[in-house]
Amino acid sequence: MTVEQTEARPEAKRWLCEMCGFIYDPEEGDPDSGIPPGTPFEDIPDDWMCPICGAEKSDFRALEPGEFPEM
Amino acid sequence: MITGYGHFVQLAESLQWDETAIDLTADTEAWPKLEQEESDQVLGLLAGFCIGETSVATHLTSFHGAATTEDRMDQVLQAQARDEARHARFFDRVIREVVGVPGDTMTERVDALRDRVSPDLVELFEERLPAVAADVAEDSDNLTAAVGLYHMILEGVVLTAGQHALLETLKGLSVGMPGTHKGMELVLRDERWHIGFGSRVIQSADIVDDQMEELLTQGVKAASAWGDLISQDDIAKVEHLHQRRLRSVGIKFW
Repeated sequence: MTVEQTEARPEAKRWLCEMCGFIYDPEEGDPDSGIPPGTPFEDIPDDWMCPICGAEKSDFRALEPGEFPEM
Repeated sequence: MITGYGHFVQLAESLQWDETAIDLTADTEAWPKLEQEESDQVLGLLAGFCIGETSVATHLTSFHGAATTEDRMDQVLQAQARDEARHARFFDRVIREVVGVPGDTMTERVDALRDRVSPDLVELFEERLPAVAADVAEDSDNLTAAVGLYHMILEGVVLTAGQHALLETLKGLSVGMPGTHKGMELVLRDERWHIGFGSRVIQSADIVDDQMEELLTQGVKAASAWGDLISQDDIAKVEHLHQRRLRSVGIKFW
């Protein structure tokens, strides 16, 4: 990947379920729950639940760029 | 995608609680005032938790030595074992102080409750779990299969279904049991990260086709292990969450 490509595509904001560690990646979405790839977390319905632990959307927080690099 | 093991170590440290600090006074006063149907339902669910948590607190120790390739994983397992022991003590405290189940030891009290739950639930915790724990102790290559049963099936399906059922039951009682409700909420909070950790292990493992199929079918079957104590709607919900969880960690079965 070139420098120009990196600058042209800023990292999409990912969100962490603070209850179980699941990370919502907008590029993947959650198709099993009707959330298509490319959907920002903010656009997910409020009654959506974490696919791992069933926690509510309000239990997620935005990750800083580069946070949890050990994934 | 699930975060790394270091996150679970930090999370476990931040979520510590003391089961002896929960006030059960109102619960003790409420218990004799409950309708027979209410107390039967609560006691059946508590019995399942006493059997389940006692067993997992005992057998999780076998998993420790198997996590030799990843120090952080071993730390997480130790943190989880501490949680499970606390859960077992909490439920034992409720059945001893609130319900008045006889017995001088936790083991005797669990024995007194065994007839309250279905044979399927007893078999899962007292036969299948010890068997996979023994397999892990013998060969660390069995760790993934053990996590599959323990975290994904027992915790992700059976205990999750029971936790939600108990919380709903407690919420609807004619006389409140706030201490039991509070403790159950704290147990549920712990179990969420345990399931996240197990999902992380499964996500990182090379799961072969027959293991995928087994995880799916075992989970669907285990959802019914509580028998009549859990409604068909709640069984369907926990089955659905199990399937979503497996898909989210990359297990494709459709």
